[in-house]
Amino acid sequence: MRLLTVVLAVAVLAAAPLFMTSYLLGVLTNGLIAALFALAFNLLAGQAGLLSFGHAAYFSAGGFAVIHLMKAVESGRVSFPTPLLPLVGGLAGLLSGAVAGFFATRRGGAYFSMVTLAMAELLYGLAPSMPSILGGEAGLSSMRMPWLAFDFGSDVQVYYVVLAWATVSTGLLYVYNQTLLGRLTVGLRESERRLSFLGYDTHLLKIVVFAISAMFSGVAGGLLVFSMESINYSTLGLGTSASVILNTFIGGSSVFLGPAIGAVFVTFFGSLASDVTRNWLLYQGLIFALIMMFWGDGLVAKAADVARDAAAGRTTGLVRAIRMLPAGVCVGFGVVLGVELLSGMLNRDYRAAVERSGAWPPITVFWRPWHPAAILTWAAPLVAVVFGVLLARLATQRRKHMEPPRVLGSETP
Amino acid sequence: MEFLVVSALNGLIYGLLLFMVAAGLTLVFGMMGIVNFAHASFYMIGAYLAFTISGIAGFWVGLLVAPLIVAVIGMGVERFALRRVYDHGPSQQLLLTFGLAFVCEELIKTFYGNYPVAYLQPHSLDGSAFTVFGASYPAYRFFVGVVAVLMFATLYLLLHGTRIGIIVRAAVQRPAMVSALGHNVSLAFLLVFGVGAWMAGMAGAVGGALLTTSPTIAAQMTILAFVVVVVGGLGSLNGALLASVIIGLLTSFSVGANVSFADFAALFGQRALAEQIGGLLSLRVNTIAGSLPVLLMLLVLLTRPAGLLGERD
Repeated sequence: MRLLTVVLAVAVLAAAPLFMTSYLLGVLTNGLIAALFALAFNLLAGQAGLLSFGHAAYFSAGGFAVIHLMKAVESGRVSFPTPLLPLVGGLAGLLSGAVAGFFATRRGGAYFSMVTLAMAELLYGLAPSMPSILGGEAGLSSMRMPWLAFDFGSDVQVYYVVLAWATVSTGLLYVYNQTLLGRLTVGLRESERRLSFLGYDTHLLKIVVFAISAMFSGVAGGLLVFSMESINYSTLGLGTSASVILNTFIGGSSVFLGPAIGAVFVTFFGSLASDVTRNWLLYQGLIFALIMMFWGDGLVAKAADVARDAAAGRTTGLVRAIRMLPAGVCVGFGVVLGVELLSGMLNRDYRAAVERSGAWPPITVFWRPWHPAAILTWAAPLVAVVFGVLLARLATQRRKHMEPPRVLGSETP
Repeated sequence: MEFLVVSALNGLIYGLLLFMVAAGLTLVFGMMGIVNFAHASFYMIGAYLAFTISGIAGFWVGLLVAPLIVAVIGMGVERFALRRVYDHGPSQQLLLTFGLAFVCEELIKTFYGNYPVAYLQPHSLDGSAFTVFGASYPAYRFFVGVVAVLMFATLYLLLHGTRIGIIVRAAVQRPAMVSALGHNVSLAFLLVFGVGAWMAGMAGAVGGALLTTSPTIAAQMTILAFVVVVVGGLGSLNGALLASVIIGLLTSFSVGANVSFADFAALFGQRALAEQIGGLLSLRVNTIAGSLPVLLMLLVLLTRPAGLLGERD
């Protein structure tokens, strides 16, 4: 059953170029790269319980290794099969991860997060002074060279290379989980002390896990460069580390494919939303913060829970979700409307227009013009949020009344 | 001599400014074991609010009101967001505060734009405070130092002279025991969070006009505050003060130091070799001044993981 689902999913992905436009295929390519990056990150953050805030460094290590190799191939100095380029990215990730892991894993918990963040920021800060390696302000760019019968000139060919690498890497990561090393990784999270009592060298183990996570991150970085044909040192910045964290935990770190599904979901939603609003990252951050506050397991794990319960005939989770839906829609509507109105009014162009004409033109949000002077414009988002919060209160309160306290043994007749 | 004194003063004042941000971070960690990723966002919000308010009601009103608003925001964050995840373990807390920091940065970008704002010092402090070795020292810089010292004095008196201060200090050492003795630790924590946010907001309100006020300032301050608390020892207030001043001095002296490792190699007659190797060896110290604090932090972690004055590992 599970195998069938996986085969079906890969088949759908493989058939994607048949029914997707070139633009959507590009988004899906980015989504697959983000998915692989999130899975690699989750090996460390979710499975080993080591929360890295600097995975941009290993992602970029792979990216820069690949761009340098591509430049060398382009100039004819060396020859290398083009579709195997990400392999070099993985190697660079592995090496940088082993070195960084040695330092970072000396401390656990919050220290680990701060050290990984600091190391990535160190590289980012030094990057402008190393233009020969990291390309300086302009960045580095190159071209994919033809290999055998393929010229890698079309989006479809790039997509298939990315899909192949993402599928194989995901498979390897899954197999890794089943091995002894994979179980030990989970052991690191659950009880490091017990592992060391059992005779394992936990520091070495952490370095190995760190390096493997960095290796697959490097493959993802290499794939990005393979598809973009360029890279800039801004990839090293906190933004890259932040996006993989958001992707991973929006999807959920406790389910194997949670981070990957989260990454594809966020990439697609982001590309759609960023066409409509410039505030997309704000909403992404809000969604992430809300998930962290209310369902720490993430969306995929939550959905899987509800689905499993519903299949077994326990519908309380489903009913609860349905009951909370109107509240969520109300609050979401109010917040988005309020933010869009305010940001629309504070926009430079809008302010300039106001100064030129002296009048306040209406702002279009949700396909409707809103006049800044009208009371309804400001009452609508406020009322929506308050109403939504009241609905949520009502839904949770009623649940308390309706569910009698469960007494042990009361199920038996 | 002039370079030495002016650099030392600049470094001291920059360090004190850092301390205003790091103090809240280290206290909160000491009490609840939470590393608040969003703490430096309070600095940024303080700077932007002071910028807005000073445009309406003048600099001094902004200086007073903005940190108070930040304190209220900080207490709101503790009460309505963080309190939900205390039981969920450290990574969930770290992730939530990280999410909040992300939201803060995006909010600022949404409302103020993705570029620095012109938050300027008041004209009454445009002149010079005093002259050292023929160079006049800017009054505003001196003022920032005075504010930071006043802040530190206030915090010290609060912690050592009031009843709630005793509870807070005790809770840093043994939170569960203090709670068992019947003290309201969660109220004390709310207040510490508020005071920490207030100090960070104040640092933003005065420091925003000294440094640049841009949406990326929170991320930069986060790194620096982390460096300060790690170098000083997580949870140690004195350590944070010491580390802040060290990092302030390190930064101000390295910005003015136009030397490279190649110059150092020249002492041994190896300049040509070092310049040939190039890369990191021929970098000028002032171009990597921003990265030196992070290097110091890595060094401290390798040699003395608990930090300079830290006890807990």
